[in-house]
Amino acid sequence: MATAPRFQFTEGTPQYRTYKLIGYGILLLLVLVVAFAYNDTGSITLFDNDYKVSITRVTKAISFIIAILGLQVVAGFTGQLSLGQGFFFGVGAYLSAWLVSDHNWPWLLTLVVIIPTCFIFGMAFGIPALRIKGLYLALVTLGLAAILPSLILLDKLEPYTAGAAGKQTDSDLVPPGWLPLDGIVDALHKLPLVGSYFGDGDGLSSREEQRVWTFFIMTIVAVVCFKMVGNLIKSRPGRAIRAVRDNETSAAVNGIGLAYHKTMSFGVASALGGVGGMVYVAELGIASPGDFTQLLSILFIVGLVVGGVGTLSGAVIGGLVIAFVPDWASSTQNFPGVPERWLQGPTGGLILGLMLIVLTFVLPGGIVAGVRRLRARFVRVNPARPPLLTTGDPTTNALADSATVDAASVND
Amino acid sequence: MELFINRIFDGLSNGATYALIAMALVMIFKATTLINFAQGEFAMFGGFIAYVLATERGVPMWGAVVLAMVISALLAAGIERTLIRPFDPADHLPLVIITLGLFLAINAVAGIVWRFDPRAFPELFPSGNAASIGGANLSWYTIFTLLTVLVVAGALTLLLNKTKIGLAFRAVSSNLESSELVGIKVGPTLQFGWAIAAAVGTLAVAVFVATPVRQIEPNVMITGLIFAVSAAALGGLDSLGGAIVGGLAIGLVQSIVVPYVGVPSELSLLAAVVVLMLVLLFKPSGLFGTPAVERV
Repeated sequence: MATAPRFQFTEGTPQYRTYKLIGYGILLLLVLVVAFAYNDTGSITLFDNDYKVSITRVTKAISFIIAILGLQVVAGFTGQLSLGQGFFFGVGAYLSAWLVSDHNWPWLLTLVVIIPTCFIFGMAFGIPALRIKGLYLALVTLGLAAILPSLILLDKLEPYTAGAAGKQTDSDLVPPGWLPLDGIVDALHKLPLVGSYFGDGDGLSSREEQRVWTFFIMTIVAVVCFKMVGNLIKSRPGRAIRAVRDNETSAAVNGIGLAYHKTMSFGVASALGGVGGMVYVAELGIASPGDFTQLLSILFIVGLVVGGVGTLSGAVIGGLVIAFVPDWASSTQNFPGVPERWLQGPTGGLILGLMLIVLTFVLPGGIVAGVRRLRARFVRVNPARPPLLTTGDPTTNALADSATVDAASVND
Repeated sequence: MELFINRIFDGLSNGATYALIAMALVMIFKATTLINFAQGEFAMFGGFIAYVLATERGVPMWGAVVLAMVISALLAAGIERTLIRPFDPADHLPLVIITLGLFLAINAVAGIVWRFDPRAFPELFPSGNAASIGGANLSWYTIFTLLTVLVVAGALTLLLNKTKIGLAFRAVSSNLESSELVGIKVGPTLQFGWAIAAAVGTLAVAVFVATPVRQIEPNVMITGLIFAVSAAALGGLDSLGGAIVGGLAIGLVQSIVVPYVGVPSELSLLAAVVVLMLVLLFKPSGLFGTPAVERV
């Protein structure tokens, strides 16, 4: 760090608030662009390949993002490597599919059933985790993830799960009449220069409207999940689980109940997995047993590691990566210098596997760590001094610095 | 009664494969207390190499299997050198992530190269039945798979107890730091463990699919790994003999307990997971393993 960063902000100052606002503004703008520019199947063409960036895929990514967020809680912040997230994702998916298609529940109401069910299941699975540690826990949870497809295919459950054919659902996520989605997209279409990217000028078909609405609803669900997990991490239980991750023995010595915090974090993670499953089915319209194998759980781990273990924003990047990379890889039909034969089949799995290996070598903190390192060259955020310690005594100030840097690093 | 004995035979021949993969897992766990999640995929890949050599290159069947064992051992040694050794063996998280990455990558490479349609594997053993016990048929396949397990276990025991590199391997498994201090090259010794494990795994898959009942395809070992892991945990993750007992026991649980308890056959995997969980909860060192002592 030879040169000082170009921009410096101190937490709590108006400039810092502006900086944050600009950040959130860009995010919001991205959400709106995705919603209105890609509500039909938009695509980018490169080397004669069509890379689809439609909004349905982004909604699918949101479902993965929520599941990986859960994994961040249990694996990233509590340090319990769980390969069973796919199990809870599947349970959530099937529960919501069953309630929506057989009992005509609205999608969001199914969360009332999914969250407690997955929470209790997850807590039950946290109990073995009290005795089983590290690698062994990974083994048991991988086994858990592997049995879900055969559970779904059980004859006794056939009336509820529809067996191998998959459980079909009808989406009832119809936008309310007062929302002028049509008007918005037409207004955007009239914008100079960029207007042609937004729709074709004749408003939205009802199918497109439904897609946009599903995307909005699920984005809000995701934002609520992020806000809650963010608060959890910054609060007392959050500090407790991070202490468990960093050193179990010293956490226990300091009076943190290991059993309570581990089972709770498993519960929270599993509940988020279930929510992700609901989003997945709401977008896809069908839950089929082949989607919820142990491979899915491993993909969640890929998302966790690629995004960055122990960061909330890592979940977003990880979810986008595991939703888009396999799709894009399979739509790559020709690439300069690579024989066509090598572009067919599960190329996405290969890329994700290699990504996992390469990132562990070159960027163990995931993409988020890389972005932060890059950002640190331009922007530095100085933590605000806690009011009690600003007496001018250099030693207490140094202490205050080291304490708040840690808090700032989990902030985003 | 006839059905019961038939189920025992089925269980033993399935169990033999689990025992072989479990032995491969044990070889790596003994030295580094790491579980190679990609072990099943290594084995599947080795099986495909044997398949290609035998059916497309015209190598005699057993020659193809031996050659595939050597090739997969070399590949595993290369992987150990480039992807595993740079990491601190005591820090498991990056290593587990690397093996998961290998799991995805190897499965995908096999899917790209050989596609997902199942192919018949040439038979390795004489077909037909050797004997009839109480009306149940004991096939040559069952006898030979069990023999293979015994031969492999015997060969590994000899290798570990009678050769210099075996001695080094045992020293490294017993205490990594001390063996480094007495001049053992730890890296190449662990590499040797990985190579042996891959060779044993290749043999396991070749034997597993060398019957008309089964075929080889890239996903052949995806659930097999979980059976093998629970076999290895049951026998004790650092005991080769335990791996055999565990493997056969899991095979028997799958073919006897599951049908008699009335659980649908799809749930035999659940039985393996339950065994795994119970063992880890109540006797984490397994039947024959050394209890782990944790120092704080």
